[in-house]
Amino acid sequence: MELSLHPIILLLFFPGGLFLFVAGLLYEWVDRKLVAQYQNRIGPRFIQPLADIIKLLAKEEIVPDGVHKGLFIALPIVGLASALAAALYVPLVGFNPSYSFNGDLIVVVYLLSVMTLCLGLAGANTADRFSLVGATRTLTQLFSYEAPFMLSLLGPAIVAGTWQISEINAFAIESRPWWFAFTQIVGFLVAMVGLMGKLEMPPFDAPEAETEIVAGALTEYSGRGLALFRLGKDVELVIGLTLIAAFFMGGLANPLDFLWKTAILILVVAALQSLFARLRIDQTVGLWWRAGALLALLQLLAIILGRYLQPVLSQFFSGLFGG
Amino acid sequence: MENPESPQKFVVPIGPQHPALKEPAHFEFSVDGEIVTGASVRLGYVHRGIEKAAEARNYPQGLYLVERVCGICSHVHALSFALGTEKLAKVVAPPRAQAIRVLTSELERLHSHMLWLGVAAHEGGFDTLFMYSWRDRETVMDLLEQMTGNRVNYSINIIGGVKQDVSDEIKTAILKGMDFLEGRMTHYLTVVTTDETFLGRTRDVGVMTREQAETLGPVGPTARASGVPIDVRVDSPYAGYVDFPVNLIVDDGCDLLARFVVRIKEMQESIRLIREILDHLPEGELAVRVPRRIPENEIIQRVEAPRGELFYYMKSNGTDMPERVKIRTPSLCNWASVINLAPGYKLADMPMILAGIDPCFSCNDR
Amino acid sequence: MTIGAMLSDIVRSLFKKPVTERYPFERKPTPARLRGKLIYDPTRCTGCMLCMKDCTANAIEIITVDKVNKKFVMRFHADRCTYCAQCVENCRFDCIQMSAEDYEMAALTRTPFEVMYGREEDLQALLDCAEKAPGDEPAA
Repeated sequence: MELSLHPIILLLFFPGGLFLFVAGLLYEWVDRKLVAQYQNRIGPRFIQPLADIIKLLAKEEIVPDGVHKGLFIALPIVGLASALAAALYVPLVGFNPSYSFNGDLIVVVYLLSVMTLCLGLAGANTADRFSLVGATRTLTQLFSYEAPFMLSLLGPAIVAGTWQISEINAFAIESRPWWFAFTQIVGFLVAMVGLMGKLEMPPFDAPEAETEIVAGALTEYSGRGLALFRLGKDVELVIGLTLIAAFFMGGLANPLDFLWKTAILILVVAALQSLFARLRIDQTVGLWWRAGALLALLQLLAIILGRYLQPVLSQFFSGLFGG
Repeated sequence: MENPESPQKFVVPIGPQHPALKEPAHFEFSVDGEIVTGASVRLGYVHRGIEKAAEARNYPQGLYLVERVCGICSHVHALSFALGTEKLAKVVAPPRAQAIRVLTSELERLHSHMLWLGVAAHEGGFDTLFMYSWRDRETVMDLLEQMTGNRVNYSINIIGGVKQDVSDEIKTAILKGMDFLEGRMTHYLTVVTTDETFLGRTRDVGVMTREQAETLGPVGPTARASGVPIDVRVDSPYAGYVDFPVNLIVDDGCDLLARFVVRIKEMQESIRLIREILDHLPEGELAVRVPRRIPENEIIQRVEAPRGELFYYMKSNGTDMPERVKIRTPSLCNWASVINLAPGYKLADMPMILAGIDPCFSCNDR
Repeated sequence: MTIGAMLSDIVRSLFKKPVTERYPFERKPTPARLRGKLIYDPTRCTGCMLCMKDCTANAIEIITVDKVNKKFVMRFHADRCTYCAQCVENCRFDCIQMSAEDYEMAALTRTPFEVMYGREEDLQALLDCAEKAPGDEPAA
């Protein structure tokens, strides 16, 4: 669906900016409430994520000793900004992306990784032991899931024949009812689990393991910095879900599509969150580089083979059924 | 237990304030990347001087004081004190009282092990198991509240017997609770032994071979998980355990997984014992009269707390206040095993290994 | 080798009501044996002071208004009490009970925690005594 609004409104209010914040908080609430329901307890009220952000913004920001002050203040802002910038190129809320160009798939994946990079840098900036261990783990995890995640997103791109997200979306809408989730089921699984790794959701929350290293890279952050990092993560959740729904679940044609497809995705993601114990960082790396990369490569191989063999196969089948 | 040769000593402190610990203690792990190379512990943050305070209170007052050494194993402390005082005064509580004491001990073992299961799962990042095991623990807490009047610090012991009786209503409620819990225990045993992510965190972690266990001296389920068959209820039965014997649960796994398995099987054994006691509760009175002034004597009383062997030394001097009460709690024995075995494992395993011995810092520090 | 051993629990919980107790908006009924606040019946008290002797926390004070006619007043410190019920056990005349309904005793000041139990006339006699001679503690 097309959306023709003034660029300022697009950037600041809808569907970027303010709306994206609200959507991020809403999705965080849905996720927490679902995880609570799976664990047979009541979760927070709907206003809780907003209350958390307001509380954090109202608190004093303590800059610890021995950090580079400029980096300390700037990193949360850069992280949030890159997450917000990525929203311009994905079909948010079912509308066509506001600014799309050829090759923006790479840009979006890169922008989403900038957030994790900022987390790692923030942890390395602080002189605190927990932050250093957390930063190491964040960056290790970034190296491990990035490749399979990118490869799995390439699957639909290759079939659609383009690197532009809006065109892949259009292709997916056209090719209904053959969702990529069915034709490339392996890629779909790798993409979904990769999203959980990117967002540091359990079982991939080793970089932020509460019971081992307090809060990982974010240990020394309080007040505004912490609020901005959390907002950034929420925004990334929305963008990640949009991307996967657009690629693998038959494209997003209108807001209704967006709602029910992301609802199904978040149901599954919340279930995966509550099913597993936390993986140690070496187990995460092992899992991704052994199982994840292999599966993604196999998927790609299948797609490429399929494309090359397509003329042969279609002749064979038309000879069989057509005639 | 630190390794002085490593040139790069990067020390990660855990505690006294840390999300991994439920009570304050200070651990220092020297870390090289993710591998731990040395460990040391410092306790004493919750010392309240209970042993000294017991010398200034008479025996009934001391009973309730000692009950508050720990919140999770409060009944065994009171039980040990009561049994010790009765031994000093050379009286024996009636059989019905002893059976009710054992019933409460086993209910306490159930709730303590379930608490531990949840906490250990939480340390490993498995919050779902944490929530479910604590939900099921509420069954036991409600039963205890119905029977004794409080969820923790049951105060059912008095010197010479027990205060409250088990009525038929309570008996039915307990049996119903046990039926529910039995099914849940089987389910948790399956989860703990087959879930792949959980096994990845517990299998071959914190291995303590039988020889090491016999040298380092741990007690309770930590030792039984390494194949050492010690259990005070079986070696020297006290209170009602003479009439209602317990089977010894031993596992040869020697790692963290074995400790989980031993504790869950102990819970199943407790359920069986509770049913047996309720079926064969002896008739009789609830308490016997014990004189206020206890003649001079000194005794040793050992009791099996959920964490291991609890040891009381009591000395009386003819007045109505004890001369000396010495408490040696089981968690003190288990620390050596953790500190000596921690080097060589990853930092992420440390909270799990710490939680694996079921530490009770309030018990340690008294 | 199972992945997701708790799947059955999770899926079932999706359709069940959460098990959280919504205290204080909904209160469950308390068991009969709950050891709540102390209740003292002065009509049966003989002043033997056994409850005071074994109290772990010195929470009970029996004040003698008139020993011959057996008029006693109890001053109960709810903030010191450990709710162990040893006094209930000790009393041979069943003067002391522990309430099963009154267990929410949080307060913002210390005054609600000092509770005086007794017959009306005894309490009045005590107050008159205190007014007449301030600084003199009645015999305890």
